Amino acid sequence: MAAGPIYRQIAHHVHRALARGLLKPEDRLPSVRELAQQLKVNQNTVVHAYSQLEREGVIETRRGLGTFIRADIPLHVSQHELLIAAAHRYAQEVKALSVSTGEAVKVIREVLDAGNVG
Amino acid sequence: MLAMLDDVTKVYGKSYGLRDLTLEIPVGQVIGLLGVNGSGKTTLLKLLSGLLLPTRGRVSVLGESPRRNRAKLVFLGETDAIYRWTSPTDAERLMSGLYPDFSLQCYRTLLDSLQIPMRRAGAMSKGERARLRLAMALAREASLYILDEPLGGIDLVSRERILQSIVGQWRADASIILSTHAVAEAEGLFDRVVFLREGILALDALAEELRERGESVRSTFLEVLG
Repeated sequence: MAAGPIYRQIAHHVHRALARGLLKPEDRLPSVRELAQQLKVNQNTVVHAYSQLEREGVIETRRGLGTFIRADIPLHVSQHELLIAAAHRYAQEVKALSVSTGEAVKVIREVLDAGNVG
Repeated sequence: MLAMLDDVTKVYGKSYGLRDLTLEIPVGQVIGLLGVNGSGKTTLLKLLSGLLLPTRGRVSVLGESPRRNRAKLVFLGETDAIYRWTSPTDAERLMSGLYPDFSLQCYRTLLDSLQIPMRRAGAMSKGERARLRLAMALAREASLYILDEPLGGIDLVSRERILQSIVGQWRADASIILSTHAVAEAEGLFDRVVFLREGILALDALAEELRERGESVRSTFLEVLG
């Protein structure tokens, strides 16, 4: 199992699916119980993930109908979330190498400017 | 608090089964009870279900002794104890006679989702029998489910189905405490993990908090008990 709390992994997964177009506005998400059974995780964990996504304005619960991706969701929200997650991974590497912030920012700018990203 | 062990010690002859253990079980949690063989897991679960009495300390379920509140709790023991002639239909009759909270509808759903064959237990595989025993246990609408090694010694497919049924049957007004050696497989199930070592509480932590710190339940198990 990958590192990090499971609720965050689930929320991240939804963001990723949105950013890649695998999930679209108005799509219905599995119910808490369905997803919990599928992933074999505690229902509380799925509730936690869904409530975070709800707070972020990504999903909404329609009483008696289920949980849906909001119609008005700006796609850049998911992209922004993914960028932040990627930045955290970069930051960890930077920290592990004990490189200064200035140096780290300079490198990322160079990589982006060169346009030779994997 | 749904259940608690208050400074409980259990002595077997000259050795300790459990020592000065305090544990609170709130409503709505799934608790993984982890530890190597002989660390006191079964003793703790039997104390909680009233099958054993503590040498010192107090055990309570919904404010009373487990024996007084037997109707509110389910205990699924580790041994493959089911009459060989019992079919799922016999088991249904037996359980509904014994327990007013036994739900026929829920039992039949479980028989289906756990893919239990409708033949006598003696003609079932070990995994099928384990699934039948689990269906009998989970079909009750109890407050506390005490499951001792529900994944023990059975095939991977049965383990998957059992995990999914436990996840699916959980209700916000009930709690589950289960012991297992299948730590990596089951860890997503737990809100909280309790580690026992030689009858002593070695660690009591929330699973998501362990993961927040970049650990897993499995790595913590090896660290704390290895």
